[in-house]
Amino acid sequence: MVRHDVVVVGAGMAGMRAAIEAARYGADVGVVSKLHPTRSHSGAAEGGINAALGNAGEDSPDKHAFFTVKGSDYLGDQDAIQVMCEEGPGDIYELEHMGAVFSRTEDGRIAQRPFGAGGAPRTCYAADITGHVLLHVLYEQLVKSGVTVYEEWFALDLVVDGERCVGLTAWDLVRGGVQGVEARAVILATGGLGRIYRGTTNAYACTGDGMSMAWRAGVPLKDMEFMQFHPTTLKANGVLITEGCRGEGGYLRNGQGERFMFTYAPNAGELASRDVVSRAEQTEIDEGRGVDGCVLLDLTHLGAKRINERLHGSRELSLDYAGVDPIDEPIPVRPGAHYHMGGVDTDMWCRTAMPGLYAAGEAACVSVHGANRLGGNSLLETVVFGRRSGAAAAQEVRENGLGGVFPPAAVRVTERRIKSMLDLERGERPAALRQELADTMYDNVGIFRSAEKLELAKQRVGEMRERYARGLTIQDKGRTFNSDLIQAIELGSMLEMADCLVTGAIARTESRGAHSRLDFPERDDENWLRHTLTYYDNGDVGLDYKPVTITEHEPAVRSY
Amino acid sequence: MKSSYAYYPGCLASLSQKELDASTRAIAGKLGFELVDIPGFTCCGAGDIHEARPEYYLHLNARILGQAEQLGQDTLMTICNVCTLNLRQADKRLKADADLLARVNDNLREVGAATYSGGVEVRHLLWEIAEGDGFEKLKQIAEKPLVGVKIAPFYGCQILRPSKLLGFEDPDRPQSLERIIEACGAEPVDYPSKIKCCGFPIILAREEVALGELIQPLTEAKEAGADAMVTPCPLCHLSLDAWQGKAARESDMELGMPIFHLAQLVGAAAGLTYDELQFKRHLVKPYPATDKIYADA
Amino acid sequence: MEVTLKIHRYNPETEQGGLETYTVQAEETATLLDVLDVVKDEVDGSLSYRKSCRMAVCGSCGMRMNGAAVLACKTPMKPLVDRGEVPVISPMGNLPVIKDLVVDMGPFWEKFRAIKPYLDEGSGDAPVKEWRIQQEQLDQIMKEALCIQCGCCVSECNSMEADPDFLGPAALAKAARFVYDVRDRGGKGRLERYNGYHGVWDCTRCYFCNERCPKGVDPRDAIAKVGARIYQEGMRSDKGARHAKVFVDSSHKTGYLLETNLVPETVGALAAIKEIPFAMKMVRAGKVPNPLKPHKAGKLDEVRRLNTLIGDQEKQALEAVHRGPAWPAEDAPRPAEDDE
Repeated sequence: MVRHDVVVVGAGMAGMRAAIEAARYGADVGVVSKLHPTRSHSGAAEGGINAALGNAGEDSPDKHAFFTVKGSDYLGDQDAIQVMCEEGPGDIYELEHMGAVFSRTEDGRIAQRPFGAGGAPRTCYAADITGHVLLHVLYEQLVKSGVTVYEEWFALDLVVDGERCVGLTAWDLVRGGVQGVEARAVILATGGLGRIYRGTTNAYACTGDGMSMAWRAGVPLKDMEFMQFHPTTLKANGVLITEGCRGEGGYLRNGQGERFMFTYAPNAGELASRDVVSRAEQTEIDEGRGVDGCVLLDLTHLGAKRINERLHGSRELSLDYAGVDPIDEPIPVRPGAHYHMGGVDTDMWCRTAMPGLYAAGEAACVSVHGANRLGGNSLLETVVFGRRSGAAAAQEVRENGLGGVFPPAAVRVTERRIKSMLDLERGERPAALRQELADTMYDNVGIFRSAEKLELAKQRVGEMRERYARGLTIQDKGRTFNSDLIQAIELGSMLEMADCLVTGAIARTESRGAHSRLDFPERDDENWLRHTLTYYDNGDVGLDYKPVTITEHEPAVRSY
Repeated sequence: MKSSYAYYPGCLASLSQKELDASTRAIAGKLGFELVDIPGFTCCGAGDIHEARPEYYLHLNARILGQAEQLGQDTLMTICNVCTLNLRQADKRLKADADLLARVNDNLREVGAATYSGGVEVRHLLWEIAEGDGFEKLKQIAEKPLVGVKIAPFYGCQILRPSKLLGFEDPDRPQSLERIIEACGAEPVDYPSKIKCCGFPIILAREEVALGELIQPLTEAKEAGADAMVTPCPLCHLSLDAWQGKAARESDMELGMPIFHLAQLVGAAAGLTYDELQFKRHLVKPYPATDKIYADA
Repeated sequence: MEVTLKIHRYNPETEQGGLETYTVQAEETATLLDVLDVVKDEVDGSLSYRKSCRMAVCGSCGMRMNGAAVLACKTPMKPLVDRGEVPVISPMGNLPVIKDLVVDMGPFWEKFRAIKPYLDEGSGDAPVKEWRIQQEQLDQIMKEALCIQCGCCVSECNSMEADPDFLGPAALAKAARFVYDVRDRGGKGRLERYNGYHGVWDCTRCYFCNERCPKGVDPRDAIAKVGARIYQEGMRSDKGARHAKVFVDSSHKTGYLLETNLVPETVGALAAIKEIPFAMKMVRAGKVPNPLKPHKAGKLDEVRRLNTLIGDQEKQALEAVHRGPAWPAEDAPRPAEDDE
C-alpha cells in the first residue's frame, strides 16, 4: 500500500508535466506508469509543437485559436482552445529554459515550420524528433523534482469512496502482486488507444487502459468516435512519417505522378487538414490511382542537406522500415490510425465528473481538438493541460481535507479478478482475439464509415467482449514480469473502448472532421453540433450528449 | 600493395617496442615494398591528446599527412592500431569538410608546417598483407611455414572499431589475422575475447580495471591450446606481454603465453632469425613457441 | 518465411534456464521483435521481453543477438534467414537478468541520476523568452540528444565488465549533453561528478559503445568531449588527466612520447617507487628508452609553435564558454520568479 497526495497515472509528456507542476505546488506526488517514463509514446512524436511565438512571421494566439477551431470542424470548445493558444507560448519558453534543444532560426530564436491547416508557420520543432526531445527534457525535470515513480506498475481499477476517487489498484509487473495506491487526487494521463486498429502509428502500449478505468468507474468518455488517421504512415508496420516532411515542402503524388491534393484542397494542397488529406489519399487508392495500396511522399526535390538537417529521423525510419532512401526515391505511405480526439470528459482545468479524478493529454477530451486535431497541437495539449491538471489537483488537495477512505477490500477484489484470469485453463489465447479486433476496426470503422459496416463492427465487438468475458488462457502463470497477463488485461481495455467508439460512431449521423459517413456525407450543425458522451451502463455503452462551447467563431463552411 | 609507403612507426615502435620496427623493416624487404622515413613525423597524440585537446590532435595529424603528401607519398603505412584510428579519423574529417581543412591549413601555414590537401590514404600493414596482391606475396615469402604452431589472434579494438572509420573488415567477425596465420603455415586458434579490449589506455590510470580486461583473452587463448598470440598493435602487445605477469598474479594463474607482433610472425615464416626479429626484448619469454618455430634451425 | 531462433530463457521463480530453439513463420519484413511476438503469441506466452514503439525511439527492446546488443525492433530478420543463420538471442550484458530477455535497468537509471541529468539553470538571470543561441552551438549536443537510453552501449562496455561501478557510456554521453549545452551553468562543479574514479578516465576506449549504438550517439566521442573540458579547465587531479598531460608535454619537448615519464607522472612518485621491480624487468628486456637521449622529431619548432597557437585558440574558446550566451535588449532578463 502506498500513499500520496496526488497520483499521476501515466508518465508520458502530460503525466510528467502534471507531476512536476503538482510537486511545485508542494503536493506529495507519486507517478504510476506501466512503462519507464522515457518509453512513453510521446517520444514517437516527430514534427513539432504549436505556439504563437511569432518567430516565423506575424502570428497571434487568436489566429492559432481560429485555425484550431476550424480544424476541429467546429466541435472544439472555444474557451478551452483560447486558453491553450494563449498559454502555449509561455509553456514553450519554459520547455526551452528547461533545456529543450529546439532548432533555431538565423537569429537564434526557436524555429517554426508550417504544419497542416495551421494557417501560418507555428510549429516549433527539434529537427524531426520533437517528441523525443521534449519527453526527455520532462523526464530530466521529473528526476530533478525527486517525485516517486512506480515504474512498471500497471494501473488496474480506480478505487471510489462514495462519489469520490480515493486512489487505484495496480499490478507490480516486475515483482508481481496487486498494490493499493491511495491518493487524494488522481490524474489520468494514460494516452490513446490506437492499438485497437490494424495499421496504426501507435506503440504496443497504446491500449486505452486509463480511459477504460474511468469508464468502468462510471466516468463518461467524450467524443469517442473521432479517431484521426494520419496521412503518412508506412505500409509494412504503420510507423509514422511526420507531417513535417510536408511542412518542409514535400509533395504527395499518386501513381500517375500527380500532386493530387490540389484537387481536394485547392489552397492548402499537401498542408490541408489531416482528415482531408487522409480522405483524399484513401479515395485515390480506392479509385485505382495508388501504388500498391499507397500514395507517394516525394522529398527528392528537397535535397540531401535539408533532409539530413531537418528530417534525418524520417530518413532513418524510411530506410529501416521501407527500404527507401527519401533523398533518391519517394516514400510509399498510406493513412494509419494515429490520434484519438476522444477521451475522458474534462473541463478546462482537467476535472472529470468524478471528484478527485482528473485527466490530461490524449486520454482526456477537453475538448480542444473537436472532430479533428491539428498537427502540433497534441504536444501542446500535453504540456498545457498536463500543467493545469497538476495545478488543479494540487490546489484541491491543499484546500480540501482528507479525500475519502480507501477501502482495504479494494486490493483484494482486484487480486481475485487477476487470480481468476491466471487460473483459467480452457479459454482462448489472446493473440487471435486481438488480431480480430484490429481487423474489424480497420475494415469497418476506418476513414469512410457507413451504417452497415458500423453495425457489423458493433456486433462483432459485442461478440468479442463476450468471448473475453468467458475467459482467456494466460500461459505465463508466474508472478515475475508477467507480460502475458498484462497483454490480456490490455485487450480487455481495448475491447471496451472499441465498443464506446463504435457506439458513438453509429449514433452520429453526419460527417464531421475525422468522422466521415458515406451515408451522411454532410455536416449537420442543426442536429449534431454537440459532444457525444459514452458511459458505463451495466457493461453496455450508454449514450448522452452535451453542448459545444462557442464563443468567437460561428460554425462556417470548412474548406482548404 | 604499393611499392613504397610513407612509414609511420609511431612512438612505441620507435622506443620500447623497437623489435616491432626492426621486424617491420626486415619483412618490408621480403615483401618488396620500400618504407620511406619522414623525419618530421611526430607522435599522433594517441587517445590521450585525441581526448584532452582535440583541436591540437587534429592539427598534429593533419601535419603528419601533409608531410607525407608533400614528399609525394599517396599511402601512409601504420603498424599500430591507435595511430591508424587517429590518422584515419583526422583524414576523414579533413576530406569531408572543406571549411575545416582550410582553417587547419591556415594554422599549419602560420607555423611554417606542411599543409594537407587530402591526397593520402592511411593503411595498416595488416590490411596490406591480408588480401589482394599483398596476400599473394605473403604466401610466396612464407618459405618456412610454421607447421604445427597454434596461434591465437588478438585484434585490438582500434583496428576494428569504429567500423565506419576503419571499415576494412566485419568488426564482429574479422578474419584478416586468421588468413595471415594460415598463410604463414600456422593454425589459427579461436576464442571468445579476440575482439575485446586489452585495457592498455587505462593500464596506468586504472590498473585493476585494465587487468580485469586483460586476463580474459590471455586465459581463453591458453585454454584453447594456443602456443602464442599475435597482435597488430604494439600497445596491445605491451599489455599482453609486459603486463601479463601482473595479470596472472592478480588472477592467481600460470600463463606464460608468448605474444608475437604481426611483423614477427610474418618474419618467422619468411625465414628471419630469432635475433633478427629481436624476440629477446619480450618480457614473457617466447621460448616454447619459438622453439617449435626454429626447431630445425 | 521460416525463421529459427535460439533464445536464452531464465525463470527466476524456478531458477531454471537454458537455450531453447524456436521455429516460426513470419513476414519477410519481420524484425527480431516481430519474430519474438510470434513466438510469444503462438508458441510460449511466458517468453518475456520489453517492447513498445517498434520504431527505434523508445529504447525498450535492447537485447543481444549473437553476443552483440541490438534493438530488436531495428533488426531485420530476412538477411539472416537468407544466409541460413540461426541467431542466439540473450539479454543485454552488464545488467542483472530478471527473466528471459528482461534485465534490471535499476543500476542503469541510478547512474543516469548520478550525473545530474538536468539543466543547471544557475541563480543568475534568464531571458523572458527563449535563450538566443545559434544552431551551431546546439549542434554540439545534437548527437548526445539522440540517445534513447536503450542500454546497448552499456551492454557491451568492456570497462564496465571489469568495473561494474563505471558510470558508463550512456550516463556519460548524457553528461556531455549538459557540459556542452551553452545554457548550463554547472561549471566545474558539474565536471567534478565525471572526474575521479568511475568517471570519464575509466573509459578503456574499446569503442564498442560507438559500434553498438543504434542511434549514432557515439558515446565514446561524448566521453572524450567531457574529458577535454575537464582537462582544459585545468582539472588535473586524476591519473587519467595526468597521463594525458605527459603526451601533451612530450609532444612539445621532443615530438614523441617520453615513455620514461609516463609512469611517474601518471601514478605519482610514491606509486612509481612501488613499480620499481616491474620497471627493472622492463629495463632488463631493453624496453626502457634512454631518458637522457630521447627520440626527437625533425622540425620540432613547427610542432612547438603549433602547440602554442592551438593552445591560444583553445583558451579563447573556453573563455567564450565561460561568458555564456547573451540575449538582446528587448528580451531584458529578469530574475527567476518565485513560486506562488
